[in-house]
Amino acid sequence: MPILKDFKFHSPGSLNAALALLEKARAPLLLAGGTFALNYLKKVSKYPTDVISLKKISSLKGIKAQGKGLWVGAMTAIYELIGSRAVCDAFPSVIEASSKLGTTPIRNMATIGGNIASRFYWVDLPAVLISLGASVTLATKKGKKTVALEKFLSVPPEKKYILTGIVLPKGNSLSFYFRHTKTAQETDVPSLGLAFSAVKKGRVISCARCIVNTTSSFPVALKKVEDVFNNFSSGDIRMDMIEKALLEDARATKLDDHRLHLLAVDLEKLLGILRQKCV
Amino acid sequence: MKKVNIEIDSKVQELEVRDSELLIETLRDRLGLMGTKYSCLEGDCGVCTVLIGGRNVLSCLILSADCDGEKITTIEGLAKNGEPHQLQKSFIEKGAIQCGFCTPGMILAAHSLLDKDPDPEDEEIARALDGNLCRCTGYVKIIDAVRDASQKINRSTKS
Repeated sequence: MPILKDFKFHSPGSLNAALALLEKARAPLLLAGGTFALNYLKKVSKYPTDVISLKKISSLKGIKAQGKGLWVGAMTAIYELIGSRAVCDAFPSVIEASSKLGTTPIRNMATIGGNIASRFYWVDLPAVLISLGASVTLATKKGKKTVALEKFLSVPPEKKYILTGIVLPKGNSLSFYFRHTKTAQETDVPSLGLAFSAVKKGRVISCARCIVNTTSSFPVALKKVEDVFNNFSSGDIRMDMIEKALLEDARATKLDDHRLHLLAVDLEKLLGILRQKCV
Repeated sequence: MKKVNIEIDSKVQELEVRDSELLIETLRDRLGLMGTKYSCLEGDCGVCTVLIGGRNVLSCLILSADCDGEKITTIEGLAKNGEPHQLQKSFIEKGAIQCGFCTPGMILAAHSLLDKDPDPEDEEIARALDGNLCRCTGYVKIIDAVRDASQKINRSTKS
């Protein structure tokens, strides 16, 4: 007995052909690496009429400089992202999060576009990319547009679109990612993740962003903690100042005690790293 | 149905597959390559591992129709002229096989690792095999076998 129910498979060679198929199909499903989408099909009764693979569209692949940032094609596999010198130099937190994503074969198959478009906010990359101020480029029958990733993930976009790439703005000279899992297995999905990014000029830190992947809600920003880090150059930041700010953020973000404890541990580590880098 | 050309174990196959057919179904049920196993079908266990372009991937999460033009290696394709690959020999010599169900996936994942890194540390071997579960929990022997194979391959390359 077949594992998957019937659907029509398409493998267009261009973005326009894919958009035309997307428009025409009654219930389409876009296929990137397949690690989410094909698993999903094994568990649902509501089935797509058409599965459209994006694999043969070369314009969705590659990593290149774009304006003041880096454009990562949606069909770039996670292993390609990890192996990219350009990403490694400018966005170490993306490398950290990507190298903890799933297992080796999953990283060989999964794509960054599939990871984002699946809208699973509890995995590693969304919090990291939000902290970096990433945006996504989308193609629809009406044309192309760029949307902040934070907005893309929080407000469902129009139904028929193709995510073509992710734009990472350069300028955040500091980026870190800390994650925890419930077990000792690194391959588990995170139980908590903290993504930090900031601009560093000499001893001055600005534009600090602390985004927490709580895994139970959309990633949240630690606004008060960010304020403390933005005052890094004005004198010594002590851990008690960060803890106080974290408690204030906790009221707004409804983080539980366990996650708060893990965050405090991560923030202390972060403070130590920043002291080393800024002295 | 879709017509696809896939190079499987160095032999180009012209196949007609269902649109929704998974690669594991094509390999086992259409081509009789039984070394690729059915198990979790969710990408967790790694027993359906094959190599595409030298990288270990999961055939339970790939559509055959999406493999047109790909080069695939299954466990049946590792032996050359009837001679087992060094990884296969080392798995036997080091007792890295208990029930044997995970072995094809483990060997192919190790093959992908040794292609990129001919002399891995034990930690790197463990990490490269993180997508393959051994239900007999024989991980120590498996790592021993991969290390042994890497040393023997390196020695034979040098000589």
